Amino acid sequence: MTKRLASWLLVGMIAVSALAFATIDEGEPRTAADRAYALSKTIGCPACNGQSIAESAAVIARELRIEIAVWIDEGKDDAFIRARLRERFGDDIDYTPSGDGFTSLVWILPVVFGAGGVAGLVVVFRRWKREGDLSASEADSDLVAATRASRADD
Amino acid sequence: MSGDGTPESTPLRAAWIVVPVAVVMVLFIALLATRDTGDAGFASFSLEGQVAPAIVGTTIDDQPFDLDDFRGRFVVLNFFQTTCIPCVQEHPELVSFQNDYAPSGFATVVSVAFDDRPSNLRDFFDRFGGDWPVLASDTGSIIVDYGVPLVPESIVIAPNGEVIKKLRGGIGQNDLEFVIAEWQEANA
Amino acid sequence: MSSALFGALIIAVGAAASLTGIVVVVLGLVGHRPNWWRESRGLVWIMFAMALLAIVWMERALINRDFTIEFVAHNGSHQTSAIFNVATLWSALEGSILLWSFILTGYVAAVVVKFRDKRDDPMMAWVLLTLFVVCAFFFLLMVGPANPFRSFDPPPGFDGPGPNPLLQAHILMAFHPPILYLGYVGFTVPFAFAIGALVTGRVGEGWLLATRRWTVIAWGLLTLGIVLGAWWSYETLGWGGYWAWDAVENASILPWLTGTAFIHSVMVQERRGMLRVWNLSLVIATFSLTILGTFITRSGVIESVHAFSESGIGPALLGFFAAIVIVSLGLIAWRGDQLRSPGRIDSPLSREGAFLANNVVFAAFAFVVLLGTVFPLIVEAANDDRISVGNPYFDRMTMPIGFVLLFLMAVAPVLPWRKASSGVLADRLIWPAWIGAGAMVVSLLVGARGWAPTLAFGLGGFAGGAALRQVVLATRRQGLRGLVGRTNGGMIVHFGVVLIAVAFAASNAYVRQDTFLLEEGQTASFSGHEFTYEGVDFREYPNRVERRVAIRIDDTQVYEPGTAFYPFVGRSFGIASVRSTALQDIALRVESFPVDDDGLATGEVVIRVTVQPLIAWLWVGGGIMALGTLLAVVPGNRRNPIMPVGAPLPETATPDGRVEELV
Repeated sequence: MTKRLASWLLVGMIAVSALAFATIDEGEPRTAADRAYALSKTIGCPACNGQSIAESAAVIARELRIEIAVWIDEGKDDAFIRARLRERFGDDIDYTPSGDGFTSLVWILPVVFGAGGVAGLVVVFRRWKREGDLSASEADSDLVAATRASRADD
Repeated sequence: MSGDGTPESTPLRAAWIVVPVAVVMVLFIALLATRDTGDAGFASFSLEGQVAPAIVGTTIDDQPFDLDDFRGRFVVLNFFQTTCIPCVQEHPELVSFQNDYAPSGFATVVSVAFDDRPSNLRDFFDRFGGDWPVLASDTGSIIVDYGVPLVPESIVIAPNGEVIKKLRGGIGQNDLEFVIAEWQEANA
Repeated sequence: MSSALFGALIIAVGAAASLTGIVVVVLGLVGHRPNWWRESRGLVWIMFAMALLAIVWMERALINRDFTIEFVAHNGSHQTSAIFNVATLWSALEGSILLWSFILTGYVAAVVVKFRDKRDDPMMAWVLLTLFVVCAFFFLLMVGPANPFRSFDPPPGFDGPGPNPLLQAHILMAFHPPILYLGYVGFTVPFAFAIGALVTGRVGEGWLLATRRWTVIAWGLLTLGIVLGAWWSYETLGWGGYWAWDAVENASILPWLTGTAFIHSVMVQERRGMLRVWNLSLVIATFSLTILGTFITRSGVIESVHAFSESGIGPALLGFFAAIVIVSLGLIAWRGDQLRSPGRIDSPLSREGAFLANNVVFAAFAFVVLLGTVFPLIVEAANDDRISVGNPYFDRMTMPIGFVLLFLMAVAPVLPWRKASSGVLADRLIWPAWIGAGAMVVSLLVGARGWAPTLAFGLGGFAGGAALRQVVLATRRQGLRGLVGRTNGGMIVHFGVVLIAVAFAASNAYVRQDTFLLEEGQTASFSGHEFTYEGVDFREYPNRVERRVAIRIDDTQVYEPGTAFYPFVGRSFGIASVRSTALQDIALRVESFPVDDDGLATGEVVIRVTVQPLIAWLWVGGGIMALGTLLAVVPGNRRNPIMPVGAPLPETATPDGRVEELV
């Protein structure tokens, strides 16, 4: 095994283990406040111009943050909180577009576009590879041989 | 190294790219051209037709309050703030409505204020009139329960405790009468 | 003559000059005006002079609080200092269009000066025609719907409301819009050349080489403008956020995305004559997106905290966007036959292959951002529902794209042109790979967890290592000269991008926020720090009253967040206070001052604390990107020996006599 290959294997192993460790090890557990904050960054303030309730200083934003904290204390999960808020204030309070119905297109279209892009690249590279294998034609080879011969004579 | 493809295919190829792009762009521009500008606000409200969420609290006059006590009457739940101009403008309409319908027990107004001091509210009602329960403390959860993003907003509740309608912005007495009459017809 | 009328006249002259310019160039093309270039040049200088005069006139009005002009009456104030009144120009719509027009005429004047040697080239006629048309559009906007010089009859004792206090709060507001516009408007020039190239059929490399430096400079300015905007948001709004994927922010990043793809993809066209359709499309898309972005931020179709107030120029901008799209698509369709390049990409494992993949990835990125931004409108049109598409969508969708881009940034610079063997790659990338793995281990050691940020750190180390490797090799060979020139400057820019990417990943993954109710003297503990409330202080200013709270962090320094009440506007705005260190930022904001039932302040305060790692790396990374761009446009010593088909070899060679290809 060459030194280079060994080096790559080693660095690969370290990277993969580091990634695995980072994935598996929980680290510090999330507090309720952390959870509330993460959630409120994704809920819009209904009376502000496009700010989330985590950002806005409006009264309604504050009340909603308090309510979310209460719900988290009561043990409700994120899905419940989102559904409740959507019920009361309309779908547009939730910054995460749903995966149902027409709205699911916003999730699907980029994947389609991306897959199409990758497929396009693959097709184009394959085609170029096929066309690109050049070999000299007979006439060209003869020309080169003749030139070499004449040069050798000099 | 040519491999350009036959001459006939190249103009076709350009059309293949340009035409779908053009179609998408036309649709896109049409979409943008037909949108409403300005903020129409959060529109949907799903509580209509459902039982009104419970409200239990204390009024600014230190009286206990429970929304259930008002079953059998129409309730106009009015969310407001003393500093909000449309709220001040609609107030006389509410006073007039109350004078007309409250004595007979037909309907009543209930005010919910938030971010406002009880002393402010007492002064306000002393000046502008209006003799109905006013809630000011711990009203945050009421706002969330009823989905009220902005004031003024009025929610009309039927005698059976069902939410009839949400009215955005400042209202007049005839707006309330219309909503009540409509419900009465539908539930005659 | 009233000052408003004078201003309006200046604009009218400018508009007339641009329209005349169109006529002159057209006549010149048809052959009826042999002096068309000289006449156009004169008209360009008139346009520039008028735009300059208009700006000076407006600034004069703003500084003098001349309320006979409606724009000043709506946006100026005796209460705000003169300096802020200067920046007020671009804080409201009409002023921003005026600024745009001024910068545009400036660029057109520069084109006329720089390309005077090429005046006999028919392509320059088309370039000037395009530029005149764009200028005419903006001048006509100012004559019509976005007139900055409408007159106003101020009642006695009138004082304006002043600019939005959010826009006065920070000195960065003075720089962010002009730099941003210098970037946006700068892309008009390569666009004009692309149109010229399409019309004259000279879709080879000529137009690219002519405008390459312009494009890179415009791109660099746009990058700097966007970073300054993020910094301004962060400092002013104070809740620790710097990028919210808000409609206006997205509008600014869309042209940046296609512009970035373009400045990379042109290298393939220069070397191999390929990807011409891509390059034309990218530069046209970049310019169109600047117009579309202007439409989005000023038309009110999508709400945003950054948006200008609604105005009537929406339809005009949309119409201009439509015209650009129609003309461009038409030209591309017409010239389709000539766009096919004579080259082939030999292997996916090559620099060309990497740049083609780069184009696809950036196109996907732009598609995602655009789709997410306009999707609520699509849904509303389709079934009348109202939905939001916000940061959860964008974060989730752009994360994989970000990873792919980091990977490409690592690999592409070490890939040779034409074809690479995996051996070459393995040799060149081993050290960057070690740096990447090292970064991951270091992050684990400091306690960071989570697969996504760790992967970001690894790929960031990988890409950063590759960039560093290039710069080290170049400086070893050429000394200080190894830091300038397109490739080396580009590597420095990449390094800045890596810093920003790592900071973005870390600050998003590890941000913590909480609120605390504190009495005077009380201390709260959060995220390894102590926050002690030490007292409240009132400060009066001519236009506001500030209530500042002293918070001591960790027994060291005192920070003073608070609220400012502007009586003229009738509301309060928060004042944030941020402690920035190299590794962590702590942002403090006052939520409220609790009052008792009688309305008296209880002496307590509710503060919001946001702790985020590596925020400073965002600004440093932005600065490095700007520096790298500057270095990249310095003319390099070496030249590509492999020029496009048919060009002669350059005479210059490196000091040791070889004509060398670096990298």
